[in-house]
Amino acid sequence: MSQSKHTSGHAPAPASHAPASSGHAEPGHGEEHSHKATYITIFLILGFLTVVEVFVPQVYASAYDQHLKMLLLVGLAVSKAVLVGLYFMHLKWEKPWLKWIALMPVYMGIFTIILMLETVYR
Amino acid sequence: MSMAATKALGASDGHDHGHHEVAEDSHFGKATGGKIAMWIFIAQDGMSFGGLLLAYGLLRIFSPDWPVPSHVLGIGLTAVATFILICSSVSMVMAVEAAKAADKAATVRWLMLTILGGLSFLGIQAYEYTHLVEAGITFSSSTFHGVDINDRFGSTFYAVTGFHGMHVTAGVIYLICVLRGALAGKFTTGGNSYSPVEIVGLFWHFVDLVWILVFTFIYLL
Repeated sequence: MSQSKHTSGHAPAPASHAPASSGHAEPGHGEEHSHKATYITIFLILGFLTVVEVFVPQVYASAYDQHLKMLLLVGLAVSKAVLVGLYFMHLKWEKPWLKWIALMPVYMGIFTIILMLETVYR
Repeated sequence: MSMAATKALGASDGHDHGHHEVAEDSHFGKATGGKIAMWIFIAQDGMSFGGLLLAYGLLRIFSPDWPVPSHVLGIGLTAVATFILICSSVSMVMAVEAAKAADKAATVRWLMLTILGGLSFLGIQAYEYTHLVEAGITFSSSTFHGVDINDRFGSTFYAVTGFHGMHVTAGVIYLICVLRGALAGKFTTGGNSYSPVEIVGLFWHFVDLVWILVFTFIYLL
């Protein structure tokens, strides 16, 4: 069969990859190397931000600080959501078109914010 | 048929085993049709959640007697549930990495951990719902330990968190289906065969992402 010749030019057979040598599994695929270290970093950031989130309402419990509390909490949540989207959902490494599709609910969010601002500053 | 056209049709020829490639598209690069479809689904599903959260926000803003959520809901337990969901997102990306590296055992292991995370989240939610119902908060009426609170608190709470819980349930079922394929070794034959694991991952991360926002808007604010 010509199969062996056909595959010889590509990356070695998957079975030969030992999971231990995880760093750069596929020599021929520079852009697809492992992101494991990045994932762990993002995980630690997400965990830390979650702890901060839980303490924010306790620090800013008085009515005087309500706006600051709201800004902080929404900012933290949006940051976490963006991190999940960019890294865990690989948006950072996708082509612009897929990013525009992913942003569709955000356009609605922007519209909502405009409507809310109109109500607040009327 | 030209070579390019054959390649564009996908790797159904069998000879090129272990190197299924999607032809480079000028707009979507090497994203598979399934991946693009899942993103379109996620975008519209995000708007469903957006609609629910918007309705919740409006009802709350125009109700001066809205209770402070942290006085009614358990923040600590839900923070744990949030953290479990974040952990399950990490195990999910690890499953995708393992499938990409054609490591079947690791793919199965990480997928199982992800499912376990989802089930734990659902367990906590069931526990939480039970206690809230016992305290008097249901979908249609809200009293908290005998004290009347705004009726819409219960309806919006269950509508938003219930819709999310339904997504976690669907995600767990979806993950179990993918796990079956992983056990059969379908997604670890190299090339693009890992794609179904990546696509279920997109859905799972989306469920996690939505919860991050729900946790803030429903529980913390």
